[in-house]
Amino acid sequence: MAQIAMAAGFILILVGFYGALTNRNILRMIVAFTVADTGVNIVMVAVGYMRGRTAPILDETVPVADALSRIIDPVPQALVLTAIVIGMGITALMLAFAYRFYEKKRTLDITKCTELKW
Amino acid sequence: MVSAIVIIAAALAAEFLLGLFSERWRVAAYAVTLFALGFMTFIAAEWVWAFAVYAAQPVEIFTAGVQPPFAINLRMGLPEAALTLLINLTGLFSALYLKRAFLEKGRAAMAVLLVFVMAQNGIVLTRDIFNLFVFFELSVIATGGLMLLSDDERAVAAGFKYLIVSQVISAFLLIGIIFSYHATGVLNIDLMRPDHFAALQAGSIAFFLMFIAVVAELKPFPANGWALDIYESAHPAFAGLFSAASAAATLYAVAKLLVIGGPSWLPIATGIGVVTFIAANLLALPQRNDRRLLGYSSIAQIGLILAVIGQRDILGDSYLFVAGGLLAAHAAAKAGLYWLSGLIASRDIAGWSALRGHPVLIFAFISFVALLTGLPPFPGFYAKWELAVALAGNGRYLLLAAILIGALIEAGYLFRWFGYTIKRDKPVEEISCYPLAVTAIVAALAAGWIFAYLWGDLSGHGNILHAVPLLFALSFLLLDWLPAWVKNTIAIVGMVGYFILNYADYDPLRLIFAVIILIGGPLILLASYDAHGRRVGFYPSAMLMYAGLTQLIGATDFFSFFVAWELLTVGSYLLILRGKHSEPHALSYIIFSLGGAFLILTGFAIASSVSPLPMSDALKALTGETAGWVFLLLAIGFMTKTAAIGLHIWLPGAHAEAETDVSPMVSGILLKAGLYGLMVLMLAMGKQSLYGIELTHAMLYIGALSALLGNLMAIFEEDAKRLLAYSSIGQMGYALFGLALMNHLGWVMAFMFVINHYIYKSMLFLSAGGVAKRTGTRLMYKMGGLITLMPLSFIAVLIGIIAVSGVPPLSGFGGRWIFYNAILSAEHRLPMVITFFSGPIAFLYLFRLIHTVFLGQLKDENRRIKEAPFWIILPQMLYVGLLMAFAIVPGLALRRVDAYLGQFFPEGGLNWEGITITSQFGYWSPVSIMIIVCVIFGSLFAWLLFINRRAQKVKQFNIVFAAERPYRPETTHFAWNFFAPYRKALGFLVQPFVTRFWDTVADILHTAGDLGRRLYTGNPQTYALHFLAFVVIVYLFWTGG
Repeated sequence: MAQIAMAAGFILILVGFYGALTNRNILRMIVAFTVADTGVNIVMVAVGYMRGRTAPILDETVPVADALSRIIDPVPQALVLTAIVIGMGITALMLAFAYRFYEKKRTLDITKCTELKW
Repeated sequence: MVSAIVIIAAALAAEFLLGLFSERWRVAAYAVTLFALGFMTFIAAEWVWAFAVYAAQPVEIFTAGVQPPFAINLRMGLPEAALTLLINLTGLFSALYLKRAFLEKGRAAMAVLLVFVMAQNGIVLTRDIFNLFVFFELSVIATGGLMLLSDDERAVAAGFKYLIVSQVISAFLLIGIIFSYHATGVLNIDLMRPDHFAALQAGSIAFFLMFIAVVAELKPFPANGWALDIYESAHPAFAGLFSAASAAATLYAVAKLLVIGGPSWLPIATGIGVVTFIAANLLALPQRNDRRLLGYSSIAQIGLILAVIGQRDILGDSYLFVAGGLLAAHAAAKAGLYWLSGLIASRDIAGWSALRGHPVLIFAFISFVALLTGLPPFPGFYAKWELAVALAGNGRYLLLAAILIGALIEAGYLFRWFGYTIKRDKPVEEISCYPLAVTAIVAALAAGWIFAYLWGDLSGHGNILHAVPLLFALSFLLLDWLPAWVKNTIAIVGMVGYFILNYADYDPLRLIFAVIILIGGPLILLASYDAHGRRVGFYPSAMLMYAGLTQLIGATDFFSFFVAWELLTVGSYLLILRGKHSEPHALSYIIFSLGGAFLILTGFAIASSVSPLPMSDALKALTGETAGWVFLLLAIGFMTKTAAIGLHIWLPGAHAEAETDVSPMVSGILLKAGLYGLMVLMLAMGKQSLYGIELTHAMLYIGALSALLGNLMAIFEEDAKRLLAYSSIGQMGYALFGLALMNHLGWVMAFMFVINHYIYKSMLFLSAGGVAKRTGTRLMYKMGGLITLMPLSFIAVLIGIIAVSGVPPLSGFGGRWIFYNAILSAEHRLPMVITFFSGPIAFLYLFRLIHTVFLGQLKDENRRIKEAPFWIILPQMLYVGLLMAFAIVPGLALRRVDAYLGQFFPEGGLNWEGITITSQFGYWSPVSIMIIVCVIFGSLFAWLLFINRRAQKVKQFNIVFAAERPYRPETTHFAWNFFAPYRKALGFLVQPFVTRFWDTVADILHTAGDLGRRLYTGNPQTYALHFLAFVVIVYLFWTGG
């Protein structure tokens, strides 16, 4: 299961990168990056997964005493949550830039932003 | 003590507070921002104080009250404190600079700046890799936001490019982090260890991904196109902050990562760093946009620091000193330069000439350039020295060479830029002297000098800023408001006073040089009384050169010798740059000089890594091949200053275009620095050979060829000052030849040339300068017949050329006499013959100085000119007296030198009995020669006067007798192309091969840079691909190596 998830994650990352680097439309690039982000998050979850364990929530079903042997490591999950939040922030900022860019240039073609070069 | 976490908390609190403000309370919001930044700065400063003064121990801050790995922890140690202070201070001054933009854009902009500064602090403080990732992402988001502060429309695109590339980078970072966690079970940097990674197969790849992602934030070549666009289009206040603060933070992050990666990663860091350093500097060469140029330079500097971090294995504890010195210099200079660029309307580097008329800003500019190029007394200089010694000591010569080449290219474009600023036409638009911006710039300037003092104190070599001559020179910066004559008097009194206090400490060799510098210098300065007004900038530069020279002869260890060498180079560069048309010549002077200085640095570094003794003892202690290499490096380094043939192309322009009183200083005095270096070197090391070639033998040829070609080039010159300049190449060739003979008389001859060349070249340059001042031209065929109008100048030139040409009775003859004696006992015939023949050639050009300038017909437009100004004539007359005296009693100076040389070359000394000097081949009696020549001259002159009674006076327009027709174009003037027949015969020898060679080198570098920078197409997808390519290349190197 973990292997499948991890493979899927890496495939998503590659698909995302491929999309982001080949599409000329800025909005498509942003979407592609969110796909890649999702891939990264899946990989992270897959790495932290431990077979046969339960969610790291301490309640009646999982007493504190034997938590260590019954729950999976909560750290990767915390990391994923943080990464998702940050990814959303970046995506929002990119969309804002895309909007600004469109306002100035009346186009979403990424190849039109090469006044700065060399 | 306030806990370090309050730095982050304060920023967060201020950000949230700003969120509560109404959009209209902008001033209040600005006050909150400034207060928060000020408070953060205060906390960091307090910690720096605690660590530096009270030697406090590093403090761990456990954020959740528990130890890692169960919670994130921060650490505050000395490096963290220093870096956070740097970041917060830069942030504070950027905020001051941004006042206008902030009040216009509102609280959101201020909050974003706070986020940015906080993120950089976080990157420095945190010990948790995921936390590191979070702060990096915050930094990315804040950078994106701050890009919108710029007035430049292109900034939107630049910000977007950054976001795209950083998305790719952060994916790598995240994957790297999660697999590292998988491999080690922790996220805490201090709990991760290299063996954890090695245990798992994927472990080292995990580290690789993390490492490469963080390194990518340092903008390594070629994955840095996005960064250049940011640098170019961002608001200058932010660009300065971005360059200084984020580089500091990210470099520290890399240093932290390298601790977990283990030593096997150090060479990779060095490789990435040094490739970036060279490539970015090369690509910067053809750059005309100031901010983009600074971007390239920032990338290069950061690359250099990364390379230094990678040398941690050999630098040991001094790695923080070296990397920190480079970083401090970079931060102060880059922030300052970006802030300066905000005052200037034009984006072309030549547009910086708008700074002229603002001495403080010009001083700031040159200080920033010196900070970046690692000149003394700035921290980069100490860093350069330590690094060179460490690299040479561990046999990493290739790396040292690469770094020095990169540094030379960087110095090239920075000094070219400074030359444009000083010399190019001033644009119409004035600079905007926005007070807060100027405050920030002055703060960066002050920081640079404070760093200079700090690093001096921390270094084990003593503080450069404690040297009396240098302090004396720097004090003229504060006195620059005084009129020139007052400063001139202070300078003369200071130099003579220093000599009187110190002359007893010099041995005869040094005493000769000390007299030339500290007594000869003031003598030339008499001519400076002729200048009117305040002459801003002249005295600090001139005194800097004299300070360097003075410290040079006082130096006994490698470090202080090299300090002095660099000081005199910078001082003389600034002095030469003052000439009206000297911009390109000053540039080639500084490039050749710095190139030579780097060779000297390498030689010194090798020598001092072998032996910790003082300079001459350490040089003596060298053996085998090392000795040969050190000798070669140092000899070539010193020969760039004496303008030996092949390295001479800077000299004619630099000496000829300099101001009237500067030419004698740089010719008569400065050239001696190279000879002094050679003397010290050769006395210590004697004859050396490398791969079977005896190096002194090679120097004989170089000296002989310099003498021949220098003189040949001089005879075809039309410009009087250029002629004298070329003649210096020849004269230095003689001196070099004498030294390379490595026998007693050869050395006496070299000393003779040291003294003679100072006297007559100073005198002739003053005369030529005086004549040029009156006639308004330096071209000799436009002069003529000046003997009656400028009789004193005539006498000076006449005496001067008699002395130079080496005919009796003046001291030049003494030089020649010793020369003949010296070559009689030498083994090498060919160079001897070459040198012998350059003598008569010298006579050809010297003859023109008298004949074309003072004899012949007076030009109509020169009819009303007067004798040169009193203050220019006065030193010349003193020189005439000196020459006469030295001709009659050469023993005054030479006798002691002769005795001194006896220790080193016991055989073949001269015998000084009474007024006669005897060698093993004959004798020389200066007084009788003087009497004989005077008698002959007197009788001939009387006879001439007698027969002249019957001569018919020829009026100028009597074309039958005048031998020339007035008002004709120059090309038909008899004095134009005077030696045309010789040119036909020997002209092939003076084809500018060497100039062409160096031009081609410069051309190749520029073309390579221009082609290389086309890599940066401006398309963000290409930039992302660059990053991927970078990852692949580094991966291949890592697995392959």
